[in-house]
Amino acid sequence: MRLRLQVTRRLEPSASMVFFVSALSLLLAFLVSGLLFVFLGISPLEAYRVFWQGAFGSLYALSETVKRMIPLAIIGAGLAVSFQASVWNIGAEGQMLIGAIVGTWVALFSPLPPSLLLPVMFVLGFLGGALWGTFAAWCRNRLAINEIITTLMLNYVAANLVLYLILGPWKGKTVRGFAYTDPFPQEAWLTTIGTTRVPLATFLFAFLTALFCYFLLAKTTFGFELRVVGRGEKAAHLAGIPAKRVVALVLFLSGGLAGIAGVGEVSGIHHMLRHPAHISLGYGFTAIIVAWIARANPLGVLASAFLFGALMSGQDALKVAFGIPFQVMYILNGLVLFFLIASEQLLYYRVTLRVAPWGEKEDEYDRVLD
Amino acid sequence: MKRFTVGVLLVFLLCFGFVALGNTQEAKIKAGFIYVGPIGDFGWSYAHDQARRIVDDTYPWLETVYVEAVPEGEVEGVIDRLINQEGVDVVVTTSFGFMDGTLSAAQRYPDKIFFHCSGFKRAPNMATYMADFHQVYYLNGVIAGALTKSNKLGYVGAFPIPELKRHINAFALGARRVNPNAEVLVRWLQTSWYDPAGAKEAAESLIAEGADVLAFTEDSPTVVQVAAEHGLPSFGHYSPMYKFAPDFVASGQLVHWEAIYLDFFAKVYAGLYTPKNLENVDYWWLLREGAVELGADFGMPINPVFEEQLRSTIVNDPVYGETSVYDLVFTLLKAMADPEYAFSPFTGPIRDRKGNLRVSEGVRLTMDELITMEWAAEGITGAWPGEPEK
Amino acid sequence: MSTIGFWISGVVGRTLAYSVPLLLSTLGEIYAERSGILNLGVEGLMSLGAFSAFAVAFFSGNPWLGVVVSGIVAGCASLVHAFCSVTLRTNQVVSGLALGMLGMGISGVLGRDFEGKVLATTLPVFRLPFLSALPGFEKHNVFVYASLGLAVVLWFVLFHTRWGIVIRSVGENPAACDAMGINVTLVRYACVFFGGVLAGLSGAYLSLGYRPSWSYGMTAGIGWLAIALTIFAFWNPLWGMVGAYLFGILYHLSFRFQAQVSPELLNTLPYLFPLVALSFVSRLAARRKVGPPASLGVPYQRGSS
Repeated sequence: MRLRLQVTRRLEPSASMVFFVSALSLLLAFLVSGLLFVFLGISPLEAYRVFWQGAFGSLYALSETVKRMIPLAIIGAGLAVSFQASVWNIGAEGQMLIGAIVGTWVALFSPLPPSLLLPVMFVLGFLGGALWGTFAAWCRNRLAINEIITTLMLNYVAANLVLYLILGPWKGKTVRGFAYTDPFPQEAWLTTIGTTRVPLATFLFAFLTALFCYFLLAKTTFGFELRVVGRGEKAAHLAGIPAKRVVALVLFLSGGLAGIAGVGEVSGIHHMLRHPAHISLGYGFTAIIVAWIARANPLGVLASAFLFGALMSGQDALKVAFGIPFQVMYILNGLVLFFLIASEQLLYYRVTLRVAPWGEKEDEYDRVLD
Repeated sequence: MKRFTVGVLLVFLLCFGFVALGNTQEAKIKAGFIYVGPIGDFGWSYAHDQARRIVDDTYPWLETVYVEAVPEGEVEGVIDRLINQEGVDVVVTTSFGFMDGTLSAAQRYPDKIFFHCSGFKRAPNMATYMADFHQVYYLNGVIAGALTKSNKLGYVGAFPIPELKRHINAFALGARRVNPNAEVLVRWLQTSWYDPAGAKEAAESLIAEGADVLAFTEDSPTVVQVAAEHGLPSFGHYSPMYKFAPDFVASGQLVHWEAIYLDFFAKVYAGLYTPKNLENVDYWWLLREGAVELGADFGMPINPVFEEQLRSTIVNDPVYGETSVYDLVFTLLKAMADPEYAFSPFTGPIRDRKGNLRVSEGVRLTMDELITMEWAAEGITGAWPGEPEK
Repeated sequence: MSTIGFWISGVVGRTLAYSVPLLLSTLGEIYAERSGILNLGVEGLMSLGAFSAFAVAFFSGNPWLGVVVSGIVAGCASLVHAFCSVTLRTNQVVSGLALGMLGMGISGVLGRDFEGKVLATTLPVFRLPFLSALPGFEKHNVFVYASLGLAVVLWFVLFHTRWGIVIRSVGENPAACDAMGINVTLVRYACVFFGGVLAGLSGAYLSLGYRPSWSYGMTAGIGWLAIALTIFAFWNPLWGMVGAYLFGILYHLSFRFQAQVSPELLNTLPYLFPLVALSFVSRLAARRKVGPPASLGVPYQRGSS
């Protein structure tokens, strides 16, 4: 006798079931993290309370969650589009930094009248990120270089560019030689909602982006084309779809959206250009997860971005309350991710434990139902 | 000295006065420390956290909490949480990049006290502080100038900002005081304050180019370890790094942030510092105040392994005449720790490496000139981003 | 030997020493991806390896024990990813990223007490006749030469042995392999495990040899570069070796030439060079149909497809 795991496929799950199972898996992830808190000498119940309070417990807490959600949602929506086309853009981090650079140039060095600063920052920031992304498309289309390596390497190039600017030509005159630019003029600051630190413009833009990307994917010919390209360039070729143009446009869009997120961060939060690690904060990488968790659905991205915003904000509260090592957050995030993806499988597959007698042929117990 | 002693006495009298009066129970202070790095990084944030522990242990009326690895742009949110969630009265922010966020928070919480490290913006409820190493680097330079055989000293720096330029300049000036042929070869990392791989390859390439004594500014003991692997002397940075290479760490720079924190919190507790009168409170503490220390380890200004060699190296000093380098280090240490600052490393005439006169004969650089220093002193070779032409 | 000869030997020696962790983790990732499993958790596995190696060597006083444990720990950790992506058939991108986060987090939290600790015995210097007398080669430990040899061996295994055919076929067409009686699950588990072991060993090299100490973040993004180099290498161990050494030499030279060339530009070169190099060979490779394993990232399920 021996034990066998048997995995069988299920039909498409309903929306309510997706919600229920995801919520359940989050709950499980937190239950398991309870052990981590016990290990750290913190009462798990107290930790859960602080986390909940810190992420949702007050208007302030909610605003901190939303502040984190904004860049994740904007970048994530663009990445969702690019993942649907099987374009693996993992360079949002760099595209975001390019947006921040271009935005900074407009804010500090362009001769524009003050009222035009913000709109131009966003338009040019979009273009900057978009062109940075399109370069990867050019490499893929013309030179046959895989976009994963291009976009990943260009992240480092963008970070070095920021460092060069803040240490060299753009070093501020009012920062006593430290590696920062001068602060932006007030006209280049985004207005925040009430007393929070949530910039109104990017907040609205996050929702608009999600809607736009959703309609682009679901209701337009281009959306159809890019999903065909996602199935493979051969299929696209057979269908007469210009795959190269689609790839270029997809990277243009997702790079541009990351660029907008970058402008949003410098004009809404920092009001200057500073060390790249303190601007991007890994948003470009986290947004990859955000897009995947949402299964590359731009509307789902809003939900998963909110979830990750809440994780970051709640974890801030934990750090403040207990002085725990900041790496605890990685463990928490890792657990949440594992439970989420494992639960997703439970939606589609039924896992059962079977007792099989020795000697019986494996295949009989491994038959797939659908 | 008198003014300083009286001040310290006053503070202690006030503290113990309060203790004696039994006021401790109602007058508790809660302080929140915000660090830019993890506290385990053995560099900047680690040193601040060591100091936090000391003040927390020293003052029974003080309770401290801390938050580590806070990104610069997130500092305001963390301050909000410290004040509203944890109810702190004093917020200590320990990175230059926290400056604007701290100032903005100070304006929103006018009855709380803010203490910001290494910045220059202040408010009625926001004071600033810094413990600077330039004197210690000068002394390290004197030692290095005597130890080198190749007349090439190596320096690994994280970022070309005035703080490091000032330190490297002091190092070079010190070295050339005892060894006019000494050169300082500089390599920059320009990535992060913590970059062990970069520090390792930078140190290796300095050694390959002939440097035989190493100093550095980076948040790990890498350079000390590399130097020791090659059997070369080096200088520890920020924390006691003697233990990483007991036979090779000649000396180094050590910080005592607690000197500043002890003084500051005592004055807050005594009511001398209030949220109304901090506009001009700026600590710029050096050897004299005990905020920094010369040494490979606490209480070990010069590693005994090198004592013999430094004693037997006799130089003809322009001020002190014929003296051993060992004695010269302690003479200068004493002069710099003097209450009246009997000696400053940046006393003219000093020329930069392009030949411009930077400090005129007999003039001493002011604090403002020190913290905005961009030029490179004579004897420094290597890239120097932001070097002024004139 | 002339000055220039010394200079070159110094640079080459440093390149070999710097590139070891990059090379090892790239080799591991090549094997995992060749079997069809994308593992984005390399950085976390390296960190786990670096920490466990240091902790074990610290307590036992034996660096070799640390090396062994680091391989086992990182290998076992990578089985979590194998379980998710092979058995549960989850999304490999998310599962790999989650594993990376767990690795960084666990090593960071458990490693708190080991930061700034001094190791009594580190990996010993390994001497080869003649070679070890050259400048830049004096301090090498055995990892430096072993990783070079491993690259050649792994290339041979992958392209000239039955095992190699099995691994590559599983990554190309698991259904056909399955039909031929090859245990796809076992091959994939084994390759992911092997990739994890090599990532762990590269961490051990960092914390016991390259810079003997443990501190969080000492892996410094090498795990991410390994993923990029795997693509750069067209999933070929020999090209992986070329890529790792080219990156290493540019990285080291960026400090050698700082007095002559602007440091910002030099810091960028190691990251730009793979793109430049690829721009010459990629189209050629595409024409010869050298690409990623066809089933990379696609979970295999018997009967479907």
